[in-house]
Amino acid sequence: MNNKFDALKDDDSGDHEQDQGSPKDSEKEKIEDDDKEQIIIKKKMVVPGAGEHPLQYNYTFWYSRRTPGRPASTQSYEQNIKQIGSFASVEQFWRFYSHMIRPGDLTGHSDFHLFKEGIKPMWEDDANKMGGKWIIRLRKGLASRCWENLILAMLGEQFMVGEEICGAVVSVRFQEDIISIWNKTASDQATTARIRDTLRRVLNLPPNTIMEYKTHTDSIKAWEDFHGLVNASGGR
Amino acid sequence: MGDTKYTVNESSLKGEKTQLVTNEEPLMAVLQKDTINDVAANTCEIHSASKEKVEPPKLEDGEIVGHHMTKCTDGEGINAGGISPQEELLVQLTYLQTEEGIHKHACQAQKLKPSETSNMVRVQAEESNSGCSGDKRLEDKTVFEATECWDEYVILSGDVNSNAAGNEGVLLNPLLFNTQPHLDVGVQLDAQTSWHFPAGPGLTQEVQCPLWHFPVASYYPQLELTMPFEVVWREWDECNQKDQSSLIPFSVKKMSMDFTVMSYNILAQDLLEANKQLYVQCPLEVLDWTYRCSLLLKEIENWTPDILCLQEVQENHYHEQLYPALSQMGYTCVYKRRTGTKTDGCATCYRSTCFAEVAVTKLEFFRPELEMLDRHNVGIVLLIRPLIVQEAVVTAVGPPLCVANTHLLFNPKKGDVKLAQLAILLAEIDAVVKSCKAKGEHCNVVVCGDFNSVPHMPLHQLIITGELYYQGLPANMISGQEDQSNKHCYRHLRAPLWPNSLGINDLCQYTANTNNHTSESTSQKSEKRQYTREFILQFRYCPAACVRPQDLILIPGVTNINPENSRDDQQQDKRFRHILRHMLDLESVYKHFLPRSGCPEITTLHAEGGNTVDYIFYSPKRDFAPDQKAYGKSAGEGLKLTGFLSLLSEDVLWSMNGLPNHIFPSDHLSLLARFQLDINAE
Repeated sequence: MNNKFDALKDDDSGDHEQDQGSPKDSEKEKIEDDDKEQIIIKKKMVVPGAGEHPLQYNYTFWYSRRTPGRPASTQSYEQNIKQIGSFASVEQFWRFYSHMIRPGDLTGHSDFHLFKEGIKPMWEDDANKMGGKWIIRLRKGLASRCWENLILAMLGEQFMVGEEICGAVVSVRFQEDIISIWNKTASDQATTARIRDTLRRVLNLPPNTIMEYKTHTDSIKAWEDFHGLVNASGGR
Repeated sequence: MGDTKYTVNESSLKGEKTQLVTNEEPLMAVLQKDTINDVAANTCEIHSASKEKVEPPKLEDGEIVGHHMTKCTDGEGINAGGISPQEELLVQLTYLQTEEGIHKHACQAQKLKPSETSNMVRVQAEESNSGCSGDKRLEDKTVFEATECWDEYVILSGDVNSNAAGNEGVLLNPLLFNTQPHLDVGVQLDAQTSWHFPAGPGLTQEVQCPLWHFPVASYYPQLELTMPFEVVWREWDECNQKDQSSLIPFSVKKMSMDFTVMSYNILAQDLLEANKQLYVQCPLEVLDWTYRCSLLLKEIENWTPDILCLQEVQENHYHEQLYPALSQMGYTCVYKRRTGTKTDGCATCYRSTCFAEVAVTKLEFFRPELEMLDRHNVGIVLLIRPLIVQEAVVTAVGPPLCVANTHLLFNPKKGDVKLAQLAILLAEIDAVVKSCKAKGEHCNVVVCGDFNSVPHMPLHQLIITGELYYQGLPANMISGQEDQSNKHCYRHLRAPLWPNSLGINDLCQYTANTNNHTSESTSQKSEKRQYTREFILQFRYCPAACVRPQDLILIPGVTNINPENSRDDQQQDKRFRHILRHMLDLESVYKHFLPRSGCPEITTLHAEGGNTVDYIFYSPKRDFAPDQKAYGKSAGEGLKLTGFLSLLSEDVLWSMNGLPNHIFPSDHLSLLARFQLDINAE
């Protein structure tokens, strides 16, 4: 549990629940204001190259990893998450993706996040704060393929829920891997149902696969409870 | 009664023949039938009644054509009849009329059956089909004769067509329904010669090809009424029709239509003359184009397929003889000559009263920029829709149907080229199907042609299984054709089979940009940049994707991956694998063995031997539980094969001195199949 405790803070990202039994750890946590500035390094918007196949939205890859042995702290999440790069076309996506390790080959507590450009992979982001996510836990060995299928569906606008999709996360954990997809409006059941159905289809999930929808509000509350931070500022 | 019927028959045959065959059995069958209570039974009765009443003089035209089509229809119509009360009524009405001696109506009823089912009424059909019903029935009876005299005749289906009540009628019904079409032929033969088909050598001497007046196809009254017609010695096989219709509640509205498809390599005269050694066994006169052309047109007219896919159509013959004749028969034709110096090509024709054209693509397999695609073969891909005609007015169109026709490269050594040519054809079909899908419609597929490949060899396997592991296969084994040349120097196939610049992937689908109807353009219709997984995947290793992004932060172990490293594993895997696939679900009409004897059936024969190289493939209706069907879930998806014209064995053809001969004008036989297509009830 202690380890988990540590883990919570650091890793996070997408999934909470990385370790069983632990409260959802924070996804992205609380970021001090100043920190925020740093994270959001505004780059000029990327654009598709000539002759390339533009995506409906630009996206940004992020990577985060728990630093072993460090205590959980509100800063660690933010310190540990790195923007890898942004892209605007199918070709540019592959350019990044091809130079990145497959999630199944990652070691330790690590996460890849792929979010629309301008949306940080954090609960607190304006785009996320009313939102939630579908979570699918995978046994080891499936993450690479599922992640690829998930993000191809997202980039290719296969979810058909307008602008609702915010991003996707794959979290590599000790005994399992977790993929999740975030959307803007947790209360919009039609949207969440559609996302669920599309997930099933694009991931080719067996019918009995357990899928869990969790609102970010709940995630935050759980995180705060766990850390005794109910009244603390960071959480919202 | 039997006599009466016969009379009808003869009459239909213009009374030239005296019926040698008396069939008592058929009569009995009919009688038994009569006892049956259900609609089907009734219909039968009426039919028989009508026949009895039918006067020879009445029946003059159109039966031949009518037979097959009608027959099938008939059986099906009844099936369908179970489904919709209206149809039943129609049928019954028609029959009633018949009973009253109005043959014409009967005719219509049957003829239109298919159409009725689909609410189609062909005006011409109405007018011209006189006495059809009578004929038909006759045929039914004749079936019996056929069964008797021709032990070859196989009844494929013992199913009850629409008899919910299972009494004796059950058994009889199927017989009646099943066998008809080829009976026309069979009966006549029977009547005249009593010749037993497989009897062996000396065939030519024994057979007196009966000259009888070929009744004008009912659809085309303008044709001459009398033409000498030589019997086609091939049998029509009705396919097993399980009757699900009886399980379907009346309330379910289901309409269907039947259509027939013929694929025929007609042997271009220029090729014949360039390869005379292949036809040394043939009497000179059967090699004469004028003679062959007349036989050919008669054969087409005889069967009057709704869709006709011809190969080896010589350009001048197309323009001078075939096109005019086919137009007159009511066909709309699309012709594509081979590139290069060869003078022949493919023609796809469809009956304008049955189908409307949506789109045509003429494919050239010759690609000057690609070394391997240096052969001048072509194909035609047609997108059509059945017309639903009510009272002479087209009231609607049915679901789209993609009809592809090709003649692949002959050269047995060039299996890789054949595969690439096939891939081009399949990619075009795939694009057409996708374009329909983008509009929310399911598009059924029929692929016809001379594939210059024998059954169960790699190319054929790719078509019917959707998958071929080709790595390392010798190029001269792909088609399975015998390679007469030196077999010692053959090449082995290696991935990729063709360069990316062909714009076709190993799923036999167009990659980006090569074609208007690719997934890309479809996606843009929705005004969103929507891409399928497959679409995105094809850019995985595009040059732009292999360059490391300048702004990619280097994280050891995370972002320092070299795409080339992963490429070997993945590229083979995901991109051009050692496996070629296609995503169309295709099944062959012919199973390549004669049902009774188990002998291989062949579609082509010349001095160097016989083989199956011609095919009709189609997207089959996959079985669903009846209850699912009742929900109309699968409406319009998939074709149901309801019958086909059987092929012959090599022995039989040799006994006729090979091909071409006085009966079959080409060195290939025609392939003919009938399909049933569900049409969504509105």
